[in-house]
Amino acid sequence: MNEKQKKRSTGDSESERLKRPRPVKAFLDRLAARNLAHRTTTLSNGATIVRPFSWSLTNSLIILVIFLFFWDMIVGAYFDKYDFMIFVRRIPNFLNILQKMWTEFDWSYFDFVVDPMVDTIQMALLGTAIGAVFSLPVAFLASANIVKSKIVSGVVKTILSFVRTFPTLVYAAILAFIFGYGTLIGVLATAIFTFGILTKMLFEVIETLDLSSFVAIEATGASKGKAFITSVIPQIMGSFLSFTLYSIEINIRSSAILGYVGAGGVGIMLDENMNWRRYGNIGVILVVLFVSVLIIENISRYLRKKLS
Amino acid sequence: MIQFSHVSKIYPNGTVALKDVTLEIQQGEFVAIIGLSGAGKSTLIKLINKMTDVTEGSLIVNKSDVRRLQGAELRRFRRRIGIVFQSFNLINRTSVINNVLAARVADMNFFSTLLGLYSRDDKLLALESLDNVGILEKAYSRADQLSGGQQQRVALARTLAQKPSIILADEPVASLDPITANQIMKDFKRINVDHNITVIANMHHVDMALKYANRVIGINKGEIVFDGPSSQVNEDLLKKIYGREITDEDIMFKKTLGE
Amino acid sequence: MKPAILEMYDKRPRTLVRNTILFVLMAVILVWSWETMDYGGINENGAVVARNILDALIRPNEAWLFNFTATGTSIPLLMLETVAIGFLGTILGAILALPFAFLSARNIVGPVMSNVGNTIISIIRTFPIFILGLMFIRVTGPGPLAGVLTIGIASIGMISKLYVEIIEDIDKGILLALDATGATRFQKIRYGIIPQLTANFISTAIYRFEINVRNATILGLVGAGGIGFTLIAALGAYRWKDAAAALWGIIVVVLVIEIISTKIRSKLVSGE
Repeated sequence: MNEKQKKRSTGDSESERLKRPRPVKAFLDRLAARNLAHRTTTLSNGATIVRPFSWSLTNSLIILVIFLFFWDMIVGAYFDKYDFMIFVRRIPNFLNILQKMWTEFDWSYFDFVVDPMVDTIQMALLGTAIGAVFSLPVAFLASANIVKSKIVSGVVKTILSFVRTFPTLVYAAILAFIFGYGTLIGVLATAIFTFGILTKMLFEVIETLDLSSFVAIEATGASKGKAFITSVIPQIMGSFLSFTLYSIEINIRSSAILGYVGAGGVGIMLDENMNWRRYGNIGVILVVLFVSVLIIENISRYLRKKLS
Repeated sequence: MIQFSHVSKIYPNGTVALKDVTLEIQQGEFVAIIGLSGAGKSTLIKLINKMTDVTEGSLIVNKSDVRRLQGAELRRFRRRIGIVFQSFNLINRTSVINNVLAARVADMNFFSTLLGLYSRDDKLLALESLDNVGILEKAYSRADQLSGGQQQRVALARTLAQKPSIILADEPVASLDPITANQIMKDFKRINVDHNITVIANMHHVDMALKYANRVIGINKGEIVFDGPSSQVNEDLLKKIYGREITDEDIMFKKTLGE
Repeated sequence: MKPAILEMYDKRPRTLVRNTILFVLMAVILVWSWETMDYGGINENGAVVARNILDALIRPNEAWLFNFTATGTSIPLLMLETVAIGFLGTILGAILALPFAFLSARNIVGPVMSNVGNTIISIIRTFPIFILGLMFIRVTGPGPLAGVLTIGIASIGMISKLYVEIIEDIDKGILLALDATGATRFQKIRYGIIPQLTANFISTAIYRFEINVRNATILGLVGAGGIGFTLIAALGAYRWKDAAAALWGIIVVVLVIEIISTKIRSKLVSGE
């Protein structure tokens, strides 16, 4: 008898429990029996095959219930308040903005975009580098096979989960009150975010490493530190560089909006021009952003391919 | 020279791995240790380079009292003792030559180790070691892309690059096929003869042990039950060492024993 | 020394020069990036604020954190709305991504069309989430519906990219086998392709759902619903305890979702 059953039987004795009428259980039992019959096939030679119970229908129902609940909460509530036709009539507003980004497009604005875009890229690069530098040692601390103590790696992993809960922008918004406005908080926010995701990706690789070579190098008379550098580091260096490049790709995009909370870069201009409805300028910024991301992604992808 | 006198090894959980072992191994001998798995073969090997500690008795290796060795002194002592493992224990995703060069980091400063800056002499030594085991042309391939036999040769080259006086081998051919195993054992034998390096190998397969070693040590339940030249080993002795009849499983090439 | 050894020595890969150049290049890029750092905003107030925020995180506004009714100040309700935005947005994005993915998969439409499709996906991805948010607010007015539409469109890019990889990985052998049984085109799609795709598609959508809930926490900044507005408003008014309550709401919900999502995805992948 396991712990759970023991606990249950202390309150009321087994016989008392059995006497009570249990309509729900009876109903479920009947349902289960019918389902089992439904899943059983008898072959011509008399053998029976029972198809395993499939959860997919149950799962779909759960998803459907959640969907309907959320739908009612947001979409239903919205159309209780506003007429559907108003919504339809306002759809062109969205397309109008898109159109104006194109028709009012003015290259002369380009000169104003270059500097903030460079700032944005610099924030992303520097933030990624700082985050990456810290992620490597912490990833080892989080790996159960390296630190041997499950408590240490568990605690480090839990802290990392906490770090990963916030998007870069939330970090920037908070840091803005501590360090004032400017690119510094953009760099710090990017660094913290990068640190969070990079460390996770790294320790997942480290935990699958074959550490037997470490033992072998230590047996040649090398110190633990040297054995570690020669046997473990080369095995994860490729993943580390490749993950770091991947983080740069993510960070370029996310640092473009950091200006909304005062972190500098192209985000401030997006904010201003949206407020002033200068959609042509937004168009210019988006084109610059598109090209920058394209270039950096392609360099990164090329390097990652060379690494693997 | 390796001298065990009244050595016992008791693990923290109370298991007695070795009981009152006394033996002497001269420089240049080829010794095979045979016995059932769990008899204490592996422990005996690991005591020699202090991968595990002696509980009782004294162990002198190359004039050093192994029980007293610690820290830097222990590391200096280990540089002259190579060890080859059953599972090769190579660094994956790294070139063969870097695996061999890893044996040199013990002698290098920390900075060079960090940047992987190996000297010309070390590189030549590594290549020479690879040539010695016949896989010079694989020097710049990735270690994890080689076959099992080639990987074990890399491991052997790695110990050679240490310029050892003793090579310990813990079941060096147990995970290889018979043909490859035979070739690897030949490599061990040649190195033993050419360089006068002591080889001490745990062998799972009796026939391989008898074929290549000059001296056989039989262990049963932590005690030495036989120690002598391999020519003296016969069926009765094997029964004593194994505590049962020899089965096909204990032999790599069935015909060898019948000869 | 044997000549073969010397010859092999000469053949060694010369990585030192290459590595040094790469290292110097990296250092130059970082030093250049450092130039952007501007410390002008730092003042002695920062340390005090940092302490206040940490204090608040230990003692957040419990009245908000455990209030399940009041509109605007109930953290559970705001987080529910945030999750709802992420959920509906993910379903919208996962559905909208289907045509983009099938029209960009190399093995379905060929290389030319695939490049066109991928470029369109890249263009959609360029729109920052706040720009999309503000554009949708012009249609729906401020509120969570704008958030749902924003998240939906913003996730098309990544979801369809991952879909494309899954489609391009399809095992064609099964189609040949079905051909041999005389299956119609529809049957080939129904029994040959769909079963290969669904589990991975769903796994992709769940993965994006995690990201979308995180993104939904900041949409409030432009008025597109969720907890973001409450958080930013509290921070802006130096109401640290209220902000801390919002932060705890995000932490708990995002952690729980991550745990559930990881479990479901590993089950999906292992094929249970």
